[in-house]
Amino acid sequence: YYFVIFLQRVLLLVASDVDALCACKILQALFQCDHVQYTLVPVAGWQELETAFLEHKDQFKYFVLINCGANVDLLEILQPEEDTLFFVCDSHRPINVVNVYNDTQIKLLVKQDDDLDVPAYDDIFRDEEDEEEDSENESEGSEPSEKRRRFEEEVIERTMKRRQRREWEARRREILFDYEQYEYHGTSSAMVMFDLAWIMSKDLNDMLWWAIVGLTDQWVQDKITQMKYVTDIGVLQRHVSRHNHRNEDEENSLSIDCMRIAFEYDLRLALYQHWSLYESLCNTSYTSASLKLWSVQGQKRLQEFLADMGLPLKQVKQKFNSMDVSLKENLREMIEESANKFGMRDLRVQTFSIHFGFKNKFSASDIVYATTSLMENIEKEEPETTNFIKALDSLSRGNLDKLHQGLDLAKKQLRAIQQTVASCICTNLVISQGPFLYCSLMEGTPDVKLFSKPVSLCLLSKYLLKSFVCSTKNKRCKLLPLVMAAPMDVEQGTVIMVGIPPETESSDKKNFFGRAFEKAAESTNSRTLHNHFEMSIIELKTEDRGKFLDALISLLS
Amino acid sequence: LRRHRVEVSVELRKAKKDEQILKRRNISIHLKEESPSLGQDRADEIIQLSLEEIVQAVNGDDTQLQLLATQATRRILSRHKDPPINQIIELGIIPRLVEFLGRADSAALQFEAAWALTNIASGTSEHTRAVVQGGAIPALISLLSSPHMHISEQAVWALGNIAGDCPLYRDALIAHDVIPPLLALVSPATPVGFLRNITWTLSNLCRNKNPCPPLDAVQKILPVLIFLLRHEDRDVISDSCWAVSYLTDGCNDRIQVVVETGILPRLVELMDSPDFIIVTPALRAIGNVVTGTDQQTQEAIDAGVLAVLPRLLRHSKPVIQKEAAWTLSNIAAGPYQQIQQIISCGLLPPLVELLDRGDFKAQKEAVWVVANFTTGGTVDQVLELVRSGVLKPLLNLLLVKDSKTILVILDTISNLFLAAEKLGQTEKLCLLVEELDGLDKIEDLQNHENDMVYKAALNIIEKYFSGEENTDLEPQTGQDGLYDFSVEKQDFNF
Repeated sequence: YYFVIFLQRVLLLVASDVDALCACKILQALFQCDHVQYTLVPVAGWQELETAFLEHKDQFKYFVLINCGANVDLLEILQPEEDTLFFVCDSHRPINVVNVYNDTQIKLLVKQDDDLDVPAYDDIFRDEEDEEEDSENESEGSEPSEKRRRFEEEVIERTMKRRQRREWEARRREILFDYEQYEYHGTSSAMVMFDLAWIMSKDLNDMLWWAIVGLTDQWVQDKITQMKYVTDIGVLQRHVSRHNHRNEDEENSLSIDCMRIAFEYDLRLALYQHWSLYESLCNTSYTSASLKLWSVQGQKRLQEFLADMGLPLKQVKQKFNSMDVSLKENLREMIEESANKFGMRDLRVQTFSIHFGFKNKFSASDIVYATTSLMENIEKEEPETTNFIKALDSLSRGNLDKLHQGLDLAKKQLRAIQQTVASCICTNLVISQGPFLYCSLMEGTPDVKLFSKPVSLCLLSKYLLKSFVCSTKNKRCKLLPLVMAAPMDVEQGTVIMVGIPPETESSDKKNFFGRAFEKAAESTNSRTLHNHFEMSIIELKTEDRGKFLDALISLLS
Repeated sequence: LRRHRVEVSVELRKAKKDEQILKRRNISIHLKEESPSLGQDRADEIIQLSLEEIVQAVNGDDTQLQLLATQATRRILSRHKDPPINQIIELGIIPRLVEFLGRADSAALQFEAAWALTNIASGTSEHTRAVVQGGAIPALISLLSSPHMHISEQAVWALGNIAGDCPLYRDALIAHDVIPPLLALVSPATPVGFLRNITWTLSNLCRNKNPCPPLDAVQKILPVLIFLLRHEDRDVISDSCWAVSYLTDGCNDRIQVVVETGILPRLVELMDSPDFIIVTPALRAIGNVVTGTDQQTQEAIDAGVLAVLPRLLRHSKPVIQKEAAWTLSNIAAGPYQQIQQIISCGLLPPLVELLDRGDFKAQKEAVWVVANFTTGGTVDQVLELVRSGVLKPLLNLLLVKDSKTILVILDTISNLFLAAEKLGQTEKLCLLVEELDGLDKIEDLQNHENDMVYKAALNIIEKYFSGEENTDLEPQTGQDGLYDFSVEKQDFNF
């Protein structure tokens, strides 16, 4: 709505996650169509955000922040000039209350039906004019008055005021505590951005696809509840049929460069259309955890599962593209049927796929995996900006080679995750600390470098927790959250640590580790850095890890 | 003769000052409309009594109702905006309230009545009179000895309001022997809030002239004031200083009573306090003392006042600069020995600074300092004054609008010429005045609308600047260099 005023140069600050990239793509397309000049700066964390702001604040008055900035007091940390304006499109929740109630410098782009539960203004802000009690100062130094009236219990009145104020402050703290306690995610920024385009009647098919990828990213990263996912899928599905209906008239047949989005019930198997079915089964968290593939029995179970479907091993292990067409026809139904027997009832998911011409078909999750891997590519020592740009490019439909490169990287990434999960479980690296589970990757573990990257580490943590919950017989442990640590920078002696909520079916995906980390760091004077937009990711000095964990344990016990 | 003139002008200026203060009184606190009710007895308050109900209950026999009604009255009177004092007086309940003061069976009733009467007495003189005529004085004085501290405190407050109204009521209280029980309340164990009220009431008992408070009363109060001046609370100290300043604001006999207590060193110490609310009254008290006899002034000098004054002459608050200069002007009106002490205590540089760029009111006082100095100082001392650079800012001040000040300056210039004549340096002084553009200014003053200014200016011109300019204005060397005005001329051109 606000973008109508965008006639000036704009600075785009975009966080490093796929949803942000998608939102960014949509906005770029809008800008292009409105001839708005902009500069794009990727920001991986708070420090970069601050630096980027400082570098550009003289040239720009308008800043758009995508998937960053909502959950802190922006005016406090950036100290902008009064005429600076921020447009914040960020799925991080809770939104900082100052951002919510500042309507002069901060414009939040939020879906209106998102339930924010923001505390009422009067409960958290108070005009300071109550303080003018000492108005006697002006008569200071003059003669005492000859007569004085005694006012209504001056002292009591003043202490009452003070007490009321104290109570109000205590209540405010409580409200804010409740409000800020849990970190979670709202509607995908790409979807919000798409809504914007749609309202302005500038929504293109590409934009819709990016919105789908943004939402799918939230689902793959396990940032939103199943309910929210299904609801949003429904919203997007309506857009898809609207677009497809519209396009039918224009392009009666599928031409070579056209794209078509389709809603479908697909298998929850990562990248299987670009891999072999066997590899995909092994490296998908859901199947791997359910079948307990890290154990010998698990491997046997996989064989039984394949046998049950009646698929020859040779077919299963070759590239999916090359699989017998006759087998592929009823493949989904076959797999689902067998999966049900093996206790995997959720193998079917609602998602979307996209066709580029006749040849290329991708599911939304394929794109998410590929883009993530490009973004956190560790194969070449390249500046993060390069990875960011590559990832961004891979989202354009003309860039199939980049996309394929991403798919290859994604396979490596998933394999690395699965192997690490297996080794962690087999060597009992996951230990219960009482209030939470803890797992620390040692320096020298294969692929450890990959897990110094936040998104990969989060994926690993989630997969590991899923697998652990399936492997352990300890019922209490099944309900615990997980804290995972991995070496970050050996030279600087730092580790990266992430906390994730318990893996339960009814999980609301709310994460309390952000606040807990903050408190634990405070109470132990640990040298930590809350640099990630995700508050539940923290960097700290390796030698401080012990006391930090102790504090965390006693804090959460 | 000189002395007299100075004192008259001081009197005049003091009177004016008092007038301003009187106007300022009663503008203490203006807070918002208080919220309906706060406090422990909130439950009772919900019953809002009408004025008729109050009258009925107060005049009735039911102690509980009397209490409720008195409390309601007190509440009405203690709201922050426009208390309806007149209406309450018209109800005719004051005599009953006074009666309640004696109800030792109900401490609450005594307290509420005392409070209500306090607030009625806080109004205009008419309001205070209503309380006094209701017979409140003896009743309140007996309450001073109440076993309940909050009641005696309230009585202190009410009596303070009565004492502050006029000398007549003040003396009526003293005649009713208010002082002994009041002083008995002061002890090291007295809570500071209570002590502030007592100190304020004591200061009101010392306040006002025509007539001054009875001498024996003053003598009873003074030792306690000395004790209070040593307290650590700034408000207690401030009000005690004000009390002393009232006592010293009178004839020399009264000043003498205060000086004899040996209080001056402490006052001088307090003059040097960083706290503005203490400096003001302490300086006022000392300033009053130095309007007294030479001996009394000497006592102040011996207490160290001259060491503190330079700082106060340079104080950031104009009002302090002004009072300090006023004090100095009266010391400068003393015998030449005291003037010598002014010089040796280094007061001339801050004086010149003040004259040059101080607050305007302070500048006028500084002009008085110079005038008195040149009147009473020896030739050497006057020479010292000129050397310190006083002429230039003094001549500049001839441009002010206030003819009284101009006259004082012209007078001072005449004095300077008298001194120069004695030294045979008249021409040098003429030259100096001319160089500083003083002659032009004096000549211009011959066109001044004020006849006296015109005459004084003309007088100077005729006497020192008339006739042909002496052609032989060779610098005359004095018998010894000290007396040579040319020396100070060089000082000037630095």
